Amino acid sequence: MSIMKSNHLTDEILQAYLLKEIEDDAIAKHLAECSICRAKLENYQYLVNNIQKIEYKTFSFNVTTVVMAKIVQYERQTNRNKELVFWGLLTFTFILIASLAIPFIPKILTLFYPKSIFTTLLLIVTGLVVFLFLLADINQQYKMKEEKIFKNNLQPIL
Amino acid sequence: MSNENNHFSDKVIVTNILNGNIQDFAMIVKSTEKLVTQVVRKMTTNVDDQMDLVQDIYLKAYQNLPSFKFKSKLSTWIANIAYNTTVNYLQKKRIPIIGIENTIENNFTITDNPELATIKTEAVEILNAEIDKLPPLHKTLIHLYHLENLPIKEISAIINLPEGTIKSYLSRARKTLKDNINHHFKNEYYEK
Repeated sequence: MSIMKSNHLTDEILQAYLLKEIEDDAIAKHLAECSICRAKLENYQYLVNNIQKIEYKTFSFNVTTVVMAKIVQYERQTNRNKELVFWGLLTFTFILIASLAIPFIPKILTLFYPKSIFTTLLLIVTGLVVFLFLLADINQQYKMKEEKIFKNNLQPIL
Repeated sequence: MSNENNHFSDKVIVTNILNGNIQDFAMIVKSTEKLVTQVVRKMTTNVDDQMDLVQDIYLKAYQNLPSFKFKSKLSTWIANIAYNTTVNYLQKKRIPIIGIENTIENNFTITDNPELATIKTEAVEILNAEIDKLPPLHKTLIHLYHLENLPIKEISAIINLPEGTIKSYLSRARKTLKDNINHHFKNEYYEK
């Protein structure tokens, strides 16, 4: 890069020299002799100094609040979609198993015929207890996750 | 050392978020909002659009957090998302990011420096107005380099341009500002 243009230092060189990106004795020597380049350098010096005095302006809205509101909304939507997929798949699986099981229903029922009422009741109660236990566990896990995700989200702990 | 600490705390925060503590994302927002604000504010003017952009930027960051590999600082990565999102917005609105500058030809010879006496008083206000007239990319570069004091290398990672190009744009932006401010004060000086 040429440092001189019409016997004066180029703007690029003056700026680079001012910002200490380059150091060259020839530039310093020229500046000591040339009032035009010196004046230009002073202008750049004032410009850079004044740029640093510019106050930082914020948005008229609270960035954290609007962003977290969006994130929470996104998480809720994502969870809703995941839930829909989960229940959809579960329903589909249930229907599939049920439809495949139809031809075997009479054979399954014959399992209960020779048993006593006591054994049948025991089987039904055990099945119900296991089902209720699983349901309660799923519900508890869901509530814990929901609380963890959404509690105090709009008032971040910093 | 400080960079390593930042890197470490970034990792802790990101891990927490990925483990489901989404309120920790607010810490990332707090630590990067100044940088994102500089990028968005300098490239756009409409407040509603700015709010949408800020939400989009952080939502993209949140969605892509699992793919963040800590190869750069988290703030640089988010600033890069901010820049790309804002550029896409400007392209959709057909606003050029490197437009034709309002350059005033420096066709007068400076014999002395009359503007320097006056420049001190109103300079910052005038400078602010002149910066606002610059093309969006030049405005952003001036703020990132001179106000955020980011090194050229980091700006290059944010803006996706080579370091040489960044230096060239910065030089051009500063020259435009200097010429426009000189012209402003020359006019005032000769009017008096």
